[in-house]
Amino acid sequence: MSIYPRTISFFIILLSCCALFAQVRVEVTDGAIAEYNIAVSPVFAENKEDKALANEISESIEMVLNLTGYFRVLDKRSFLEKPETPVQSIEFKNWLNVGANGLIKGRIKTTEGNTELDLHFFDVAEGKQLLHKKYKASPATAKKAAHRFINELVQMLTGEELLFMFARIAFVERFSDGRYNLVTMDFDGSNRNVIYSSKRVILLPAWSADGKRIFFTSYEKNNPNLYSIDVRTKRITLVSGYEGLNTSASAAPDNRTIALRLSKDGNAEIYLMDTVSKNITRMTKNMSIDTAPSFSPDGKEIAFVSNRSRNPHIYRLFVDNPSRVERLTTQGRYNQDPIYSPDGKYIAFTGRDEFFMYDIFLLDMSTRAISRVTQNQKKNETPSFSPDSRLLVFSSDRTGKTSLFLSNLQGDRQVLVYSGQGEAITPTWSPEVVK
Amino acid sequence: MKKNIAFLLIVLSVLTTVFVGCQKPPTAERELAERAFRNAAVGKDCDRENYLAAEELLNRAREEYNNKNYKKARELFLAVKQKSDEIIEYYRTHPDECLPKEDVIEEEKDDFDEILDPAEDPNLEYPTVHFEFDDYTIRYEDQSKVELVARWMKNFPERVIRIEGHCDERGSRDYNMSLGENRARAVKNRLIQLGIDSDRIRIVSYGKERPLDPRSNEDAWFLNRRAEFKRVN
Repeated sequence: MSIYPRTISFFIILLSCCALFAQVRVEVTDGAIAEYNIAVSPVFAENKEDKALANEISESIEMVLNLTGYFRVLDKRSFLEKPETPVQSIEFKNWLNVGANGLIKGRIKTTEGNTELDLHFFDVAEGKQLLHKKYKASPATAKKAAHRFINELVQMLTGEELLFMFARIAFVERFSDGRYNLVTMDFDGSNRNVIYSSKRVILLPAWSADGKRIFFTSYEKNNPNLYSIDVRTKRITLVSGYEGLNTSASAAPDNRTIALRLSKDGNAEIYLMDTVSKNITRMTKNMSIDTAPSFSPDGKEIAFVSNRSRNPHIYRLFVDNPSRVERLTTQGRYNQDPIYSPDGKYIAFTGRDEFFMYDIFLLDMSTRAISRVTQNQKKNETPSFSPDSRLLVFSSDRTGKTSLFLSNLQGDRQVLVYSGQGEAITPTWSPEVVK
Repeated sequence: MKKNIAFLLIVLSVLTTVFVGCQKPPTAERELAERAFRNAAVGKDCDRENYLAAEELLNRAREEYNNKNYKKARELFLAVKQKSDEIIEYYRTHPDECLPKEDVIEEEKDDFDEILDPAEDPNLEYPTVHFEFDDYTIRYEDQSKVELVARWMKNFPERVIRIEGHCDERGSRDYNMSLGENRARAVKNRLIQLGIDSDRIRIVSYGKERPLDPRSNEDAWFLNRRAEFKRVN
């Protein structure tokens, strides 16, 4: 997608109108990024009624820029210039003085339900506008328009899109009275939609490969059976109803095969199921617990959890020869919930550290090095990758209530995106990108 | 002979306690002791000395338990259980002394029988089997609970039961589903060994979805790691 190679470091050179080169340099070194300071001047609401929306948009822009890890978002309290200053009157030295390399400015105005959003990006040193977009939207879609602007901006500066902004997240919300909701939401927690609700247990949602359906386990028939729900029509179909556990679906890229955990043999084993013919193929043969399958993006491997070495650890098997099993973690004594990144480079998992704390870890599949995404922030569990493999969503009880957080892979940029009445658990990011 | 076995039991359980560690509250032993002591009430008058001794032991055990002195409490609860069993044995072997003389009403006698052997109580309140962390072997202390249910199922052969396996909050929802199922299955297998037809036993795991105690501490975790019996018909 990108025309710029993303190697150890790179430059992006943009041609300015005056035949000089305005140089915007975003340096990437081994995933750690040299700082590019960006000022987000609060979006100015021309009508009082748009103030809340303008705030929401400004905050969302800051959040997204921050999450990319490419930018340091400057503190707006230090700004010398007022949000209402029109773009023609910008004094760039005011922005140089607060240390900004780049500046985002915007105005919003709603008349009779139509929202106009005007967004600009300037290179501060050169005093040049590098991007300007005018969006006609509604109050409900204005934030989405801002996300499109940020996507274009980041693509211009780095050659890469921020697809995570355009894919939904599903999760289970579990209430203290025993009720369960299956919920979908945008990446930032907005536009929530309860697609299924029950007094009975709902477990372990997972998207189909095309992002049209969600697999989940329900006790509606008193047995943990696997169902799928069409996200649009909310129609529910039984996928697997063997005696015992029918859980932990993971979709193969062919949009037809799933891996799942069945216990019909008297012990938890991983199976493949053709969801059309319902034919099943057993993948593991072991007296111990084998569960939590996650397909690799090429569909050739399945990462899973097994306690065959007494403690739960992460393993992988090869679909064309499932007896070939490789152990992937040796550190720690309690590693669970493995999930392949969509680019195949990593497996994220929940591990228990030497202080008995549960945290998110990343296994680099080329070096086999394990890095830590969360630390000293109470319990962090069940990671899931954004479709561009840039971010993780996971649940954490760091605020005292089990909530959903996003983090970059380095773990130095983390943000709360959903905290509700119940416990927000087992988030899973849709593979489907809708821009 | 019987005394020897009882003595052996105590020695064994004390040893187990020493090896397993003493942090866990002996809720299972407490349940056993309280139940046995209630049943021993039938010998309250005819074996008064032992009854008072058992009562005294039980009070001390409760005190140690409340002071979180679990090792001592566990020993005392087991002693209460033994003493209570002796009282019941005395009651059984000395009907002349123990049974009320003239005015025995038939129904009361039935009541006594129910109290004496819970396995004959059609409305038996099932015991709960508890487990260690990330483990699904039935603890020595909980074997008698499964045996009681087996005897009850033999007495009521038309009954079908469901065993629900549960876990504490630690670890993933996914893994705990299997852990809970393995706990339920371990109890089912033990019942089969004790002669119960497998068709009469269903199992289901609830993983960590249905805790008894929502708190995050050792006591709550112990309570939540369990297999519960439920009547199906």
